[in-house]
Amino acid sequence: MRYMRSILGIFAESPFKPLYSHAEKACEAAYKLEEIVQAYCDGDVEKVQELNEEISELEHEADMIKQEIRKRLPYSVLLPVNRQDVLEFLKPQDGISDCAEDVAKLMTLKSYVLPKDIKSGLLEITQMTMKTIDAYLKVTERLSQLVATSFRKKDIKETLELIPPVEKLEHEIDTIEILLTKKIFLAEDEIGTLGVFHLAKISDVLGDVSDNAARAVDRLRTMMISI
Amino acid sequence: MIFDPFIIAIFAAGLYMAWNVGANDLANAMGTTVGIGTLSLKQAIVLGGVVSFSGAVLFGSRVTETVAKGIVPISLIDAHSVMLGALAAILAAGVWVTFATYLNLPVSTSHSIVGAMLGFGLVSVSQGTINMGDIAWAVLLKIVASWVLSPVAGGVVAFLLFTMIRQLLELMDDPLRADRPLRFLVVVASCWVLFALGSNDVANAIGPLSAALGAVGTELPMWVLVFGGVGIVLGMFTWGYRIIETIGKKITELTPANAFAAQFGAAATVLVCSSFGMPVSTTHTMVGSVVGVGLAGGLEAVDLSVIRKIVFSWVLTVPIVMFIAAVTYMGLMII
Repeated sequence: MRYMRSILGIFAESPFKPLYSHAEKACEAAYKLEEIVQAYCDGDVEKVQELNEEISELEHEADMIKQEIRKRLPYSVLLPVNRQDVLEFLKPQDGISDCAEDVAKLMTLKSYVLPKDIKSGLLEITQMTMKTIDAYLKVTERLSQLVATSFRKKDIKETLELIPPVEKLEHEIDTIEILLTKKIFLAEDEIGTLGVFHLAKISDVLGDVSDNAARAVDRLRTMMISI
Repeated sequence: MIFDPFIIAIFAAGLYMAWNVGANDLANAMGTTVGIGTLSLKQAIVLGGVVSFSGAVLFGSRVTETVAKGIVPISLIDAHSVMLGALAAILAAGVWVTFATYLNLPVSTSHSIVGAMLGFGLVSVSQGTINMGDIAWAVLLKIVASWVLSPVAGGVVAFLLFTMIRQLLELMDDPLRADRPLRFLVVVASCWVLFALGSNDVANAIGPLSAALGAVGTELPMWVLVFGGVGIVLGMFTWGYRIIETIGKKITELTPANAFAAQFGAAATVLVCSSFGMPVSTTHTMVGSVVGVGLAGGLEAVDLSVIRKIVFSWVLTVPIVMFIAAVTYMGLMII
């Protein structure tokens, strides 16, 4: 661009497209939980290890997109929404893949012959988490379309309506998580004290995946109602 | 007199300035239309060439007169000195604009030429040819005010217009139905922008030339304006297409609605300035309009740090160009 004067400089790179790519990447990592939890319940250590690496790679890719988005948001950039809201939305969205990675890491540490009801509890939370991620992706996809139509009020309303399902699912997961934790604590004879601690931690972090999704959509609401 | 080597040099430098304006400033305005895909690159260049040429020829005389005689009272200076001064001014502006563009500074050709003419005027004062009070300080003050006001005005018009369009789209069930008429309006607005820009920026090239020809006493001859118009079109054809193409590709977030608002804001402002004879920076006005659309929530991301860069480069432009013009003028007199 030497020897050229252009007005290109005034157009900053939009953070919205990478924001959606980041959501997709983070959710891709979370979707892997379905397989890894199943493998863990089956006691397939090798498969758990393999999936852990895949999730770790996806989490890393999500981090790279996150850094790119932050780079695009210096104080001098003017957005149609509050810049701080975008940054605070990005944080829990990134937490989705962070927690998925943590679950995978925890599962590589030690494996047990799990009692049936703990297995079914873990698988149930995972199924619900998949549903939460489905609902979450719908919200972010709608958000990316909102930008193209300069945030029409009608479209904002429609997007806001997609948020409560995510929160509802997250609440349901919380309830199941408490029941599962109870079951884990009762299984001390079968899995040992360390097992209780370890599995309680796994169930806790697994629940955090949806917690982060719920936190992110809540941030999104703040971002959109202030337009 | 036309075959005087100095006059030929002014013609050449004027042609270069016109070329530079066409290659950069006008190409920028056309790039947005290509960006939303309504016109192809070829169509944009041909249409842009025709319209900016018309703007220069039909509406370019007022600003040209301001540059030629509105700042420095050339009627009080002898013809030979005016010719040398005009040559010094156009050379200084050309050199600075080229150098600053190389440094990626968003400088204005209009600011440069005004600063250069002032440099010539101040040397004349120092030599006792004219008095300090003979320089049209009031006009100069108006010009500087227009430099600040034009980006703001462009921004306000664009802001209001975009807000109105958005309200209209809000009322429609299917906003895509507005797409086609808006696309048509973008083409109309880009023609208007290029007409306005041609009418304002042609003066940067032929202002000093008209002063040197002594042609500003009564009426500016049409062929001088045509000469400037041809230079602008040449710039767009030979170099500007690269900017049009780059902008068309890189600015992906333009929609018919925000492109129309930004162009309309810039065109309206520049045309008003042209009719008042104010040589404003057309590019700065466009930047102001883009910021206006951004403030109305019509763009995904606007980088406001460019504003600081613009202010910096225009505060720099006037004294530097004044200095180059003054030194060149004194050098030419020795020859």
